[in-house]
Amino acid sequence: MLWKYALRRIIVALPVLLGVTVITYGLIYLTAGDLVPGLQLNPNLRPEDIARIKANLGLDQPFLVQYLNWLGVPWLLHQVGLWPGAVRTGLLQGDFGRSLLDGSPVMSHILERLPYTLELTSLAILVGVIVAIPMGVVGALRRGSPADHFLTSLSVVGVSIPNFWLALLLVLIFSVGAFQLGLPHLPSGGAASSVNGGDVLDRLAHLVLPTTVLAFGYLAVWSRYTRSSMLESLSQDYVRTARAKGMSERRVVYVHTLRNAVIPLVTLIGLELPTLVAGGAVVEIVFSWPGLGRLALERAVGHDYTTVMGLTLFTAVLVIAGNLLADVLYAVLDPRIRYT
Amino acid sequence: MLDPTAGAIEAPVAQSIGRAGRRARGYWAESWERLYSDRIGFACGLLILLFGVLALAAPLLSAVVTHHDPVRQNLANTFALPGQFTFPLGSDELGRDTLTRLIYGARVSLLVAYLTVILALIIGGSVGMLAGYFGGWLDTVLMRVVDMVLSIPSIYLLILLTALAPRIGPVSLNPGNPYSLAVIIALVSWGSLARLVRADVLSVKERDFMLATRSLGASNWRLMSRHLLPNVLAVMVVAASLQVGAIIVTEAALDFIGLGITPPTASWGNMLSNSQVYFYHSLWLVILPGLAIFVTVLAMNVFGNTVRDAFDPRLREMR
Amino acid sequence: MSEHLLQVENLRTEFPTRDGVVGAVDGVSFYLDPGETLGIVGESGSGKSITVLSIMGLVQRPGRIAGGRVLYKGNDLVQFSQEQLQEVRGKDLAMIFQDPMTSLNPVYRSGWQVGEPLRLHRGLDRPRSLREAVSMFRKVGMPEPEQRVQSYPHELSGGMRQRAMIAMGLTTGPSVLIADEPTTALDVTIQAQILELLKKVNAEYNTATILITHNLGVVAGMCERVMVMYAGRVVEEGPTEDVFANPSHPYTWSLLRSLPRLDRDAKEPLRALPGLPPDLTDLPSGCHFHPRCPFRIDRCVDEYPPLAAVLPAQRAACWVTQAGVDLNRAGAIVG
Repeated sequence: MLWKYALRRIIVALPVLLGVTVITYGLIYLTAGDLVPGLQLNPNLRPEDIARIKANLGLDQPFLVQYLNWLGVPWLLHQVGLWPGAVRTGLLQGDFGRSLLDGSPVMSHILERLPYTLELTSLAILVGVIVAIPMGVVGALRRGSPADHFLTSLSVVGVSIPNFWLALLLVLIFSVGAFQLGLPHLPSGGAASSVNGGDVLDRLAHLVLPTTVLAFGYLAVWSRYTRSSMLESLSQDYVRTARAKGMSERRVVYVHTLRNAVIPLVTLIGLELPTLVAGGAVVEIVFSWPGLGRLALERAVGHDYTTVMGLTLFTAVLVIAGNLLADVLYAVLDPRIRYT
Repeated sequence: MLDPTAGAIEAPVAQSIGRAGRRARGYWAESWERLYSDRIGFACGLLILLFGVLALAAPLLSAVVTHHDPVRQNLANTFALPGQFTFPLGSDELGRDTLTRLIYGARVSLLVAYLTVILALIIGGSVGMLAGYFGGWLDTVLMRVVDMVLSIPSIYLLILLTALAPRIGPVSLNPGNPYSLAVIIALVSWGSLARLVRADVLSVKERDFMLATRSLGASNWRLMSRHLLPNVLAVMVVAASLQVGAIIVTEAALDFIGLGITPPTASWGNMLSNSQVYFYHSLWLVILPGLAIFVTVLAMNVFGNTVRDAFDPRLREMR
Repeated sequence: MSEHLLQVENLRTEFPTRDGVVGAVDGVSFYLDPGETLGIVGESGSGKSITVLSIMGLVQRPGRIAGGRVLYKGNDLVQFSQEQLQEVRGKDLAMIFQDPMTSLNPVYRSGWQVGEPLRLHRGLDRPRSLREAVSMFRKVGMPEPEQRVQSYPHELSGGMRQRAMIAMGLTTGPSVLIADEPTTALDVTIQAQILELLKKVNAEYNTATILITHNLGVVAGMCERVMVMYAGRVVEEGPTEDVFANPSHPYTWSLLRSLPRLDRDAKEPLRALPGLPPDLTDLPSGCHFHPRCPFRIDRCVDEYPPLAAVLPAQRAACWVTQAGVDLNRAGAIVG
């Protein structure tokens, strides 16, 4: 039954996915007149040369043809014998196209950088959840206390502080400042000290600052959400029932209340799964973390639009998958949702 | 007006507007009162207003108060320490006055933020209202489009857009220009507004006065503009006031990573980006622009929460 | 004086509000003997629910018990710590609530919830507590008990949910079962079944029951004794038969008169009680009921009447009846 539900969700997500490809490819198409940087300006190229280059790249075709080619529809048709001649693979075959800079497959760049992004953001999300839930629970249980006010203020600060500035401040204190004072200091950027990757401790040291910055943003939002969700759940009749059964306050809070309160939190975290690949982009850039965000910036600055497009599309796919996962998880967690 | 029946039809409509109008006035007045009674929130509102006035008066201030031009270099006075009379907040590597540049930076930040919010409200509001009001296939199509826009992580879409925008045929948006930058950010941030507005339209549509007005023969356009819009305005105001802060951060982030407003034009984001290099000896260059963003965004978020609580208690905990 | 199973003495429970402290329960005293059924009747806001929540120690902050004693088997529960109360709750005193949908935890299976008190108070393990839950389900007339213990609350019907609640209350064999409007949220036909079940439980297990309701018809069918509350105070109490035959507080009298009865002249109109329940932050002077009372005399406006005996076992707080007026007869004149 769960599988059927998941399948239905996937079917609903497909048109959205298709739409995203149209949007991203459409953007590239609109700029196609000047897609290859400097092409028009190169004095060695005659207009007919440019036309030939474009024809070779398929850029002289109408949008629909280009789009279908890019999707890899002809390739599919070729496989079943409906399309003559050899054609190259496309998106449907997992081919995100080739970089305008070096001609290598976009996917290889993505796969090279993806682990770094996932490492950083999943750690940050983990830290965020581990810290945010107790914060929210304490805030809800001691509503109006100084501790609650402090936690609320902290979360308002966390929501408002630009993460790239926080990153700079932390570098200022824990890298630059500590170094200048001759204290043990944390690395200010990169994923490891040496090119071929340092030892575990070294890698962890590089993770500390970026993870802290990212996690702070997450927990600011999630702790408030946990708090209000806990308050809501605490006011429910079943909590009174649990107390009437003689449950200890601990058990009332952690077994009966929290279990209900985390259900909406899971949805929220699911909805924020986009940030699993994207939320850290700016932080990656500040810390020179070799993840997808940094890759996107490097390639955008280098006019490698096909790679940026591939990245955008790839992250969108992950987002849609993340939302799907959250939906399914929600259905698993909340028995009232019965896969409808 | 020559048709006598027209008058007969108009009269009750006018009456119903009168009633709705009175109710609405009461609502706005009451909300205003709630807003006024939250001191911290109201103070934040005043602070934003002050920043706005400073930003508007930037040329005047630079001529009369700081006596500095935001972009003219003064290589004799580089890295002046804060606290001096001529450079109250110090100067940067080209001898430009930090205070003057911060004030001009506020101009950029606030201009882009408010312009973006207005554009996003227009796009998101229209889409949401059309989808919610007409329903059916239009609703389905528009909402799928919203799904698409929301499923592309905004930072990547922004990076793609800012990179491609100058090359998109006749439009040629240059993200280095605040107006173009606002358009680009708005194109990415209208999705959640559309969803909110649609949800609110759906609930308002079911209320009796809508049905009553429709039964009196009011046109769709009239229903939407005269009856629906005033009712969903509250949600739009609240959503907008909650979003301004986030947009300021987004804009600053784009400037910071070099895809938005570019030097020499002063913006908080590019000042911060610029200062990274001078970490070791010029702390204030790192701290001040970031502090400006932080304080502004903090004030806007607190004020946004206050506005939300004042205008629509239902939306509490909305993010 | 023999010791009662449960004896409430001069209980006062307060809630601070913007308009000052409100005494939601204002000097309530009553007792409960083993195996008997006591009905507590009153409008919403009369303090009947807060009274039993106070007994259970379940009054939520900022509400608090400001005075009085709740003696259970001679021990004052008001003086108990939370830990001591947890020992008593669910084991000796069980409570079931109005809306079984919201009172059961939506994310746990019903068998898990029913077995929980056993695991906690008796130290049973999960499988044994589940077996107990099945047998308890069978006793409360739950169809297909083996399957139902695996059901989530939303998968049960309203009546089944309330049966589950009752089963949950009874697993540990409590000596007192408090039912707070157990049938209000249910369909009429289901209501009768649940009441029948409560009656059966009371008879079979000798569980003393406190039944809170606003329905006097339910009291007539279920309770040996009845206590009527108004604005946080007991205004009348006594054996159900006596109170019904000889209502000695105008409030009771009005409630009874608003009840359709087969033995009454069909032409006699049903009368609803005029006026609104009192605002606890701004109670009328003297007898709190006087603004709505058709029998009001001057003294009612100035002085609150004591709860005094009108019959050997029946007491009422009314100046008029204490002066010897029979409400049933006077009522015919007052209209």
